Amino acid sequence: MKSALVFTTLILLSLSLQAQLVDEDDESKLYAANKQVNQFFRRFNGEEDEKGERYYPKDRLYRSEKLRKKYIGILFDANNAGITPELKVEFTKDVIDKEKPGILNFHGGNWFSEVHTLFLMNGKEVPITLFMELEKHHQGTRWVISKVYADIFRPSFERDTVKVGKFLHPLSHELDFMNLRKAFSNPDSVSQYTLKKFVPDHLSIFLYEIKKGNLKFKTVQEVKFHFFQIDGWYFELSQFNRPGYNTGWLISNLVKIKNESEKNLLRKYVYYETK
Amino acid sequence: MLNYKFLSALSVGLCVVSLSMAQNPEISPARKQAIDSLALEKVRDLSKYISIIGNKKTPFSEATRVMDRAEELFAPDSEMGVSSLNRKEINYYKVRKYFERLMALNYDKVTISWYDIHYISDLERQPDGRYVGVVTIYQRFEGTSDDGLKYKDTTKKDITIYVEKKKTQIQGRTIEFWDVMLGDIRVSETSA
Repeated sequence: MKSALVFTTLILLSLSLQAQLVDEDDESKLYAANKQVNQFFRRFNGEEDEKGERYYPKDRLYRSEKLRKKYIGILFDANNAGITPELKVEFTKDVIDKEKPGILNFHGGNWFSEVHTLFLMNGKEVPITLFMELEKHHQGTRWVISKVYADIFRPSFERDTVKVGKFLHPLSHELDFMNLRKAFSNPDSVSQYTLKKFVPDHLSIFLYEIKKGNLKFKTVQEVKFHFFQIDGWYFELSQFNRPGYNTGWLISNLVKIKNESEKNLLRKYVYYETK
Repeated sequence: MLNYKFLSALSVGLCVVSLSMAQNPEISPARKQAIDSLALEKVRDLSKYISIIGNKKTPFSEATRVMDRAEELFAPDSEMGVSSLNRKEINYYKVRKYFERLMALNYDKVTISWYDIHYISDLERQPDGRYVGVVTIYQRFEGTSDDGLKYKDTTKKDITIYVEKKKTQIQGRTIEFWDVMLGDIRVSETSA
């Protein structure tokens, strides 16, 4: 009896509270926003109506050229003068091409996330960037860390490859490399004894420092995405939390890629790689 | 009490049970719609509970009972990750702690209302075979103190939903049904 009374009170209270909805102007802005990355995908592909209801292949408007053209126009950060109107037109023309439309595929690879995080190292906050991608695993998929970049790891590997610097002479092997003792006596110059094309792997150091208990996770600061999925194009997706209708997940950078070598160069740039 | 949520879940289960027997890992549009409805129902329950917990007129004992009920909607270990316009960093709270903080806010009057808008993502299968999705809703908060000072904000709530096929025995027969649990929630202040 008592629980029934409580339940009735809850229902009445909740009904009165639910009735307090907010004004329509604000609401139309929220409809316009790309509220989830998922919604960005669907709008890009023309797979939902303006209220966010999913279209399926049997629906007339599913991926229709008209719908896609309408949506793609509002998927750019309108405040970014770096993305010229001509570039947007060229990109739109390419992705809605009848013969070979550019459709984003969640499981299609060639897109990944850049996650800016804060960790604590010996009590001090340090920024660490994680690159995450989707990977198939058992019955489904999961996000995994594919690369890491951290400014704090850089000084350990910096070296001047132009100077003669320190070295192990070419007959060191005849002495069972006994001169290694001298090489390792100064931690500052130890990286000079590595291969010229050696590239440090921040992910390995990151895992090691976490396992040693030297790095502790604090928080996520920012998330963005990089897409190499559309032939001949790269774009970056960022979240814009600001007043107005041009908000949510929007294309914040767009680059036309001429060839594979440009694509690789861009990838390296995104990953903070110099070699 | 054969609870209402169980019956809702069961109704989703019954309308899709023949499909589930086919052991097709893909979720059909019809089943997706049924699951979406169940997920939205749980999200609406949570919205109501949050409004009640935040309301200063709600007696302590009742707020505690509502918190218990709200907690039942969540998978174990669920957390709320909260950020504001001034502070992009995420602060993490266990669900119960979040409710307790909401109840203890230092205002004399609190009004929590909800935008009549929601967005439901596609469902994706995770490695353990369960499906996961995200429902986005928006909340307007208004707190007033006795000296007339007002604080207002709008927060976006991205709510994880876990969808799982379960089995139950009814009069000796095994019935499969789809159940929805809430998971982590990302709470971010918006400029709306």
